Amino acid sequence: MIGVMLSYVRVVDAVNRRVGRIMMYGLFVMMAILLWSSISKTFFLPSLWTLEMAQFAMVAYYMIGGPYAIQMGSNVRMDLFYSGWSVRRKAAIDAFTVFFLIFYLGVLFYGGLGSTAYSLGYWGTEPFSFFGGLLTGSEEIGRLERSSTAWRPFIWPVKALMILGIFLMLLQAVAEFFKDIARLAGHDIPEAAI
Amino acid sequence: MSQENIALFMFATMLLLLLTGQRVFGAIGAVACIAALALYGTGGQDIPFAAAMKLMKWYPLLTLPMFIFMGYVLSESGLADDLYAMFHVWFGQMNGGLAIGTIGLMVLISAMNGLSVAGMAIGATIALPELLRRGYDKRMVTGVIQAGSSLGILVPPSVVLVLYAMIARQPVGQLWLAGIVPGLMMAAMFVVYIWLRCRIQPELGPALPDAGDVPRAEKIRLLGAGVLPLLIFAAMMVPFVNGWTSLVESSAIGALTAFFAAVAKGRMSWKVFETSTRQTLGISCMFMWIILAALGFGAIFDGLGAVRAIDSLFTEQLGLSPWMILILMQLSFIIMGTFLDDTAMLVIVAPLYVPLVGALGFDLIWYGVLYTITTQIAYMTPPFGYNLFLMRAMAPPEIGLRDIYVSIIPFVGVMVVALVILMAFPQIALWLPDYVYGK
Amino acid sequence: QSTIKWRMQTYAGPALAAHVIDPAIEMFNKIAGDRMQIELFYADQLVPTGELFRAMQRGTIDAVQSDDDSMASPTDVTVFGGYFPFASRYSLDVPVLFNQYGLNEIWDEEYSAVGVKHISAGAWDPCHFATKDPIRSLADLKGKRVFTFPTAGRFLSQFGVVPVTLPWEDIEVAVQTGELDGIAWSGITEDYTVGWADVTNYFLTNNISGAWAGSFFANMDRWNELPEDLQTLFRVCCDQSHYYRQWWYWGGEASLRVDGTKMELTTIPDAEWAQVEEAAIKFWDEIAAESPTKAKVVEIIKKYNADMQKAGRPYRYG
Ligand code: NA
Ligand code: NA
Repeated sequence: MIGVMLSYVRVVDAVNRRVGRIMMYGLFVMMAILLWSSISKTFFLPSLWTLEMAQFAMVAYYMIGGPYAIQMGSNVRMDLFYSGWSVRRKAAIDAFTVFFLIFYLGVLFYGGLGSTAYSLGYWGTEPFSFFGGLLTGSEEIGRLERSSTAWRPFIWPVKALMILGIFLMLLQAVAEFFKDIARLAGHDIPEAAI
Repeated sequence: MSQENIALFMFATMLLLLLTGQRVFGAIGAVACIAALALYGTGGQDIPFAAAMKLMKWYPLLTLPMFIFMGYVLSESGLADDLYAMFHVWFGQMNGGLAIGTIGLMVLISAMNGLSVAGMAIGATIALPELLRRGYDKRMVTGVIQAGSSLGILVPPSVVLVLYAMIARQPVGQLWLAGIVPGLMMAAMFVVYIWLRCRIQPELGPALPDAGDVPRAEKIRLLGAGVLPLLIFAAMMVPFVNGWTSLVESSAIGALTAFFAAVAKGRMSWKVFETSTRQTLGISCMFMWIILAALGFGAIFDGLGAVRAIDSLFTEQLGLSPWMILILMQLSFIIMGTFLDDTAMLVIVAPLYVPLVGALGFDLIWYGVLYTITTQIAYMTPPFGYNLFLMRAMAPPEIGLRDIYVSIIPFVGVMVVALVILMAFPQIALWLPDYVYGK
Repeated sequence: QSTIKWRMQTYAGPALAAHVIDPAIEMFNKIAGDRMQIELFYADQLVPTGELFRAMQRGTIDAVQSDDDSMASPTDVTVFGGYFPFASRYSLDVPVLFNQYGLNEIWDEEYSAVGVKHISAGAWDPCHFATKDPIRSLADLKGKRVFTFPTAGRFLSQFGVVPVTLPWEDIEVAVQTGELDGIAWSGITEDYTVGWADVTNYFLTNNISGAWAGSFFANMDRWNELPEDLQTLFRVCCDQSHYYRQWWYWGGEASLRVDGTKMELTTIPDAEWAQVEEAAIKFWDEIAAESPTKAKVVEIIKKYNADMQKAGRPYRYG
């Protein structure tokens, strides 16, 4: 059992690490868009798309980069008691409280699915069956939601990026849970560095 | 349950969950979701995600990674080393001079980054070992670095003021300008405190007779180090204040300028680049996920009518005067700040307080400065404070937890005095924005 | 029997809502008493405006006050909400179009198809530019980053305007921080009411539409669950709100042009402005080509304007 968990952890950690290491350069994508925005404004006509594009980039940056940030231990905890506990104790408590995190991410994920389904023209209340139906061909893509700006980009790509990010976050949260279980079982798993 | 009780219950649950040490955003988000599902009925499950759409449109948050990156470039590339050397030779010979110089260093660093993290990192890696080696008192030094670095969010650029600006719907430019004089005033008050303290107890900050033993020309040359931060500051602020570039564009220019400054000084190694980029992701993600969760929490809180309940509690039921209410709010902010995360506190509590402050007839720009100083205090006070947390992580072993806790006491005292002065004399904050934007 | 509770969100921020919606809801709550209470939320409070439609369809929110365009309704009539360029000249044109020229029926059909009840449409103010720098000719429009409605933005971009869409509450600050050069979202009453007059200097008297068209909507199930008398009461309060705005804006526009001190008025000469009016006719045809429903609405708008022209003064001059 622990073996399976540890392989899961290895895979998820590796995937999220790679993905995160790519996303971290998204910083320069945002920088480039914003610079282009100031250049085009000063020398040519201001562009329609820069601000919104930068917002999309930011969403991808923090959502998809989120799991890597968890690996790095960047997410603050209130450590009044926590910092004083032994590794074992931290693992025991975390292994329980991480379900709150998982729950939150689950609700976010579900909301994201619904919102993405809507952006693909599905107005019902069962996003899972819609996406399932898309695969089996029993559902069709309907009216595509557009951003209500003059640029009017389709919204589904950015919503899809969000659910991808939340999904990876969920995988990472589960990996953190497995790590705690392994720690409790006596395995030596390093804590995230700050 | 009445709405007040639900609100209280939500807060209490969140606090309890925070105390378990689970990640802050997870704790806040989970309580938001539980409340949404339990109390909201149909469609409640969509609110946490709707917050993500709202967050996406908060375009000023694009400045966050930019300012964070600026800070990391500074601390990782060692651009600040020269700055430190400058203060060393110029102030080293007086009692407490190095500590005073460190405050100066922190002010300059504050002008080049939007958070206090960079100041903490630079302080703990450059100044701290140096000061300890020169026989400075460890508590004095630890306090100086924590207090000094907290100026990062008061002196522009400031991420906290950007966040406040979004919530209070106030112009960032004016808020930033409003932070300058109080920031300098507070720095000056720190300096006065250090100077006095070291006059009374010279052993806390011994003078270094050798510090100034460098040729005059060298001394002058070192002053040049101070020019760079001012250039970076100007490259960002001048186009912004003049309206040539927008806020988010200016932040990108600032980040790029800091980057090129490091390149020009030959300090931008691959390692520096990689570390700065990676750390920027880490801190930005932390912020964004906390804000995301807190926005969801806030919307649900709002939907329950908690805002109205609190408003009527303050204004009608308690029947307090505007100043009493303001003081109560500041006190409650300080208390919450001691154990809540500052960002969450801002996103959740400020939407309740800010409209009330406005309705009571106070200036929201001025209040932004008060809020920021309160946040600075929150950063350093146990049980939970971000700077506190960094200090514990970065301090050498000879500095114990007790030292860290005790070290901040006098500085927090100074900050409270600054807060009171600003409350009594709003013009200290307001004259600069009034002057520049010509109200 | 327990009190029915509705959550309603408006597209307007608190300062504007104090006029355009607060009084109507207060009135509703007072009359309905223990039977029903509506809790009102302002722009972006519970859900961002762009998500309003879906939130109402899903029942997160029970009722909405907005124009179709801002809340991005997934219907064919969405482009006509807000400011459809030059569709109306006076604020009374809007209720006439809806009540006498058949728009009500079209809206009802479109919204029923997506699970939302269209309750009634009403008029707001005309659409003018409020800018930091003066606009005195069409050339001055070039390169201006302006907050405006999606459809108006599409139309205006042919004159070099760069339309920007931001959350409503962020506009004032965005003008101050340089994200925007101006606003084409309202008449002068709103410029003063919400504080935009404090951050801009000029008001262009030419407008691209005489009245904003917006509506009240409700989640279909919630609406059907209401007893008939409460439905009627709700409609009456909506009408009250429509009526309030008729005189509030009409009088406000005139008096602020005459007595306002915060904005300087500028005008593009009629001959030059005629280019914009012509472009609008072309734009109507482009929109009409997009779908049969849109074609039907455009036809109605054309017929209405032709009738008004024939009726002569005071309906149309010249
Ligand atoms: Na700063
Ligand atoms: Na604290």
